[in-house]
Amino acid sequence: MTFDHWLPGAALLTAPRLGQASVLDAAAVRAGGDTVVGVAFCAIACALAFYMRRRPDMGHRWMAWLIASLLVARGLTLLLSLPALWAPIQSIQGALSIATALLAATTTVLLWQMIPRITARPSRAELARRNEELAAENAAAALAHQTAARARDELERRVAERTADLVDANDRLTEALRVAARAEEDYRVSFEGSTVGKVQSEPQSGRMIRVNRAFAAMLGYTPEELTGQPGKDMVWPGDVEEQQQDHTAVVTGRITQYVRERRYRHRDGSFVWGRVSASIIRNRGGGRPDLSIGVVENIHEERKAREALRVTLLDLERTVEERTAALAQRDLLLREVYHRVKNNLQVVDSLLVMQSRALTDPAARAGLRALRSRIFALGLVHHQLMGSGNLQTFDVAPFLTELSRNLVQSGPVAGIDLAVRADPLDVGLDFAIPLGLLVTELVTNALKYAFPVGVGKIEVRLSHAADGVLDLAVCDNGQGYEPAALLDETGLGARIVRGLVGQLRGTMTIHQEGGTQCHITLPSPFPLATAA
Amino acid sequence: MSHHSAIAIPARDRSMIPRLTATVLVVDDEYLIAEGLCMQIEDMGLAVCGTAATAAEAVALACLHRPALVLMDVRLQGDKDGVDAALAIYDEVGSKVVFITGSREPATVARIALDHPQAVLYKPVSNSQLIAAVNAAIAS
Repeated sequence: MTFDHWLPGAALLTAPRLGQASVLDAAAVRAGGDTVVGVAFCAIACALAFYMRRRPDMGHRWMAWLIASLLVARGLTLLLSLPALWAPIQSIQGALSIATALLAATTTVLLWQMIPRITARPSRAELARRNEELAAENAAAALAHQTAARARDELERRVAERTADLVDANDRLTEALRVAARAEEDYRVSFEGSTVGKVQSEPQSGRMIRVNRAFAAMLGYTPEELTGQPGKDMVWPGDVEEQQQDHTAVVTGRITQYVRERRYRHRDGSFVWGRVSASIIRNRGGGRPDLSIGVVENIHEERKAREALRVTLLDLERTVEERTAALAQRDLLLREVYHRVKNNLQVVDSLLVMQSRALTDPAARAGLRALRSRIFALGLVHHQLMGSGNLQTFDVAPFLTELSRNLVQSGPVAGIDLAVRADPLDVGLDFAIPLGLLVTELVTNALKYAFPVGVGKIEVRLSHAADGVLDLAVCDNGQGYEPAALLDETGLGARIVRGLVGQLRGTMTIHQEGGTQCHITLPSPFPLATAA
Repeated sequence: MSHHSAIAIPARDRSMIPRLTATVLVVDDEYLIAEGLCMQIEDMGLAVCGTAATAAEAVALACLHRPALVLMDVRLQGDKDGVDAALAIYDEVGSKVVFITGSREPATVARIALDHPQAVLYKPVSNSQLIAAVNAAIAS
């Protein structure tokens, strides 16, 4: 079969070119066929148009419309073949044929141009295969994704753990920083606000890095003026060498710190005494010195006071030394005087002894014996003075005891008991001599008059009767004797007693009651000392 | 006291007194004091063998008379004192010594204590004190 047979349209198109033999029959058949084909073409075109209207998503619509136009143009051409049997419409047919030809050519050209593009699109099978491949890929991808998700979860868990660690570490660091900041703040406040001078210096150069207001003010500066200055420039020239030695000692580590009183230069050119306590901060490991720290206390007033006190003390010590020397000299002289007095009294006593030898009258010898007793009393006062610490006063009790005992032992009778009782009382020469002579006279009197048989008791008592008043009592248990012997007689003993009582501003009373009781009331020689 | 200066012939050598009683040497550089003491000793019935004003005299007389007792002043003429003399006499003769001193200085008292004194009497010495001390010394 030829191509024409297979394609009815093409056969129909070629029909008119058949020969004119059997024209009518053949023409009618052909016209009928052409009409049917023409209607079919138009119907196909309509169907195509309908389809295109219903499927707006269809691609290459212009091609569909072109083909539909070609079908309509050919269909109309064929439909005209029937009327052409009767009517001379060859010109219309010709025009339609030309239009059909143009459309066909155009369609053909465009269709061929379009083919590569259309064939470039995958076929359904291809699409299916590729879908399967994609599905497989998707499945693999899903598996990979799942694995990745697990890995990610693990990673996230580890990240979370690590984050928690970091947060924890960060918290600790923050706390540490806060504590450090707090410490720094505390230190700053204590440094700046301290009333004690504080200085931080660079150990090698000695330059001051930081000084507080107290230190600067102590030297008449502001902290800003001193910062950066060499510390030794602030030290008084006379103390710089010592300061440098101290500084070297702490920097080299020979000593860990020192405390020193040192003068600093005030802005006005004077010096200010400070007590510095200095040490070194070393870097970790205790190696290189990082910072010199000095705490300087203003002790200028204290130092001045101390200096004044020292001078005063020196003066005082010198004065005391002088006075002590003078006192020692005085004591030496006093002892010498007492010694000479005692020696002279001994000379007097010897003269009395010698005089007594030259006398035969018993009364005269008795008088000289009495005189020796009085001399002894005077000597005993000086003896007591010589033994006292101050060479001025002595306790009256041992004096009265020794005095009375000597009188009783020297007395005319042997069997006399003596009792001496005296309250503690410091007495001086002026009081002791009349007191001693009084006791001498009274005891001598008792020994002389009270005990004709030679046995008895004498009591000597000195006591504080009242505030500032003393009571001297000389009592015996003898036979009693006329008070007149003491008071009215013009004898020497009586006169001495009356005179000395008056000298001591005392009063005397005598009782005869189981013996003779002689009481002398007299003011205490040192009322204040007695009261104390 | 020029009459005391010759040691060989003491001014008051009483050695001629019969040795019926104990003899006493009196040492004091004050004549009057020595004399007063001598009289009191004699009044006690004792014999005074001599008086001396210096330590050397005292030692010489003590060696000569070997007294039972020496009444010894501390301060004497010359460079030695009564304590020196008493020590020498104690070594040479062994006489008892009663010191009679005007001083009660601690130093003096301490020096006296070196010398085994029988007693220490302080001037002025009463008669009763002297009698008691001398009797006690001779009796011991």
